[in-house]
Amino acid sequence: MFEILHHTADVRLRVTAATPEELFADALQGLMAVMHASATPGDRRTESIALDSVDVTALLVDFLNGALVRASVHRRAFTGASFASLTETHLAATLTSVPASFDEDVKAVTYHEAEVQHTEQGWTTMLVLDI
Amino acid sequence: MRKQDLRRLADFLWEIPQTYRDDMRVPARVYTDERMLEQIVGDRSLEQLVNVATLPGIQKYAIAMPDVHEGYGFPIGGVAAVDAEEGVISPGGIGYDINCGVRLLRTRRTIAEVRPELRKIAHSIAREIPSGVGRGGPLKLKGNDLDRVLADGAKRAVELGYGDAADLDRIESGGRITGADPDEVSSDAKQRGHDQLGTIGSGNHFVEIDVVETVYDDDEAARLGLERDRVVLQIHTGSRGLGHQVATDFIRRMMQVMPRYGIHLPDRELACAPIQSPEGESYLAAMAAAANFAFANRQIITGGIRRAWRDEPIEIVYDVAHNIAKVEEHGGRRLVVHRKGATRAFPGQPVLIPGSMGTASYLLSGLPGAMEQSFGSSCHGAGRLMSRMRAKKEIDGHELRQRLERLGIVAEAASTKGLVEEAPEAYKDVDAVVGVVAAAGIAKRVVRLVPVAVVKG
Repeated sequence: MFEILHHTADVRLRVTAATPEELFADALQGLMAVMHASATPGDRRTESIALDSVDVTALLVDFLNGALVRASVHRRAFTGASFASLTETHLAATLTSVPASFDEDVKAVTYHEAEVQHTEQGWTTMLVLDI
Repeated sequence: MRKQDLRRLADFLWEIPQTYRDDMRVPARVYTDERMLEQIVGDRSLEQLVNVATLPGIQKYAIAMPDVHEGYGFPIGGVAAVDAEEGVISPGGIGYDINCGVRLLRTRRTIAEVRPELRKIAHSIAREIPSGVGRGGPLKLKGNDLDRVLADGAKRAVELGYGDAADLDRIESGGRITGADPDEVSSDAKQRGHDQLGTIGSGNHFVEIDVVETVYDDDEAARLGLERDRVVLQIHTGSRGLGHQVATDFIRRMMQVMPRYGIHLPDRELACAPIQSPEGESYLAAMAAAANFAFANRQIITGGIRRAWRDEPIEIVYDVAHNIAKVEEHGGRRLVVHRKGATRAFPGQPVLIPGSMGTASYLLSGLPGAMEQSFGSSCHGAGRLMSRMRAKKEIDGHELRQRLERLGIVAEAASTKGLVEEAPEAYKDVDAVVGVVAAAGIAKRVVRLVPVAVVKG
């Protein structure tokens, strides 16, 4: 699940989930929610994404920024993500998307305050999005 | 951070001493008055400023202007100068909207002449200039067109028929940052910006019609062709998706190489590399290209305004960048000055300070005090006070539209949400912000502008 929180100029997103895969998928849905994605008519599509990063927090931020550029360029909203592989520093996933319009211009997902943590409650992180 | 962690150095200057945290390389300084300081300590601006003070090669102080507010990595309203030979370049110190900036245009008409047609003109501007999310611009780029824009900035826009060569003399750096290399801009960034030239975008970006309400310096105003009641226009936008992606690409790249250079920082969003490194040089070349895209963007938007104004003469007063890094000489040393939400304010240079849509904006002129105190830098706007989320919760869109109407301000906004997020009460008092930089001897007031129409996404 994700929760949108206050930030003076931008947007804070708190994401919590039972597994790392859910954390990544929920964060992606949080990004789409901040972008105010609205589906428009057209075909559902799948595409693959593979990434390497320095650690799991960077991997999450880089994954979201990868999705952001695809969403912005192709005007598609991501409705799902399934992970063939997700380690501390590598992921391979299939993303499902639909054509969409957006009502908020997210410039980037930042590394500021981001820290993926595994607690007794599950997996969690804060994210700050530049809007 | 608490107010008592700062010590007052002068009426409008506070300092966080270097002893505040072990990893600070220099103290941090804040230009503000006492009332705004209470607001500033209310968010994380000053913790972020202290983090900036840890950057390798930083000179004298990390500086916050009175419009400072919480950002990510650097605070918005921050200045950091680093040694050009031994220091680092931090893309986060420029931000995701590279060369976000302001352009001021002057018409030859007074408000009395324009008022009867104001609604029609605002509507024409909204029709000529795409705003909001996902709306493409008027240019259909082919082949290497985009690379030529990235290399030559506003000059290329002029070659494409948007304005004339005289325009370029009234833009910071002539509308073209040297050293730009289109090959350093990723294909993702080029795709993201491909159809966005000539567009405003969303958020706090706008085109605004203003009137010169007060003239503080007759000579300086006359030199810039401004007098009381003259109608002027402001454009506030930047490098759009192209610049956002350049920043994203390089922050990621620098984070990966920092360990190689032995750099450890308290916030990854400050990710940096030595200026004299392959990554530092690549970023500066890509940043210059994105800055040139932004200069061209504002030049093409100017073309749209000229069309909306039925091709009556409209001249550029000045155009400034407020998210950029510049190589400059200060105190006999070559420095790279990061300005994130800060405006260059060299002596005699026009400094444009847009306020909120219901209050006022200023044209200032840089003073020698800016060179002595702030690496030739000033504030960049009113500074955000209220989160967008809180603004949406507390401000009624219908009431806001009525209030603007009562103030004689025409609002051409694609969405009420966009309007509410930018309501006057979401910002600090621009008069107080400008009062601080004037009292500190950083810049002097030339004219005060009041809005009569705002066009935004």
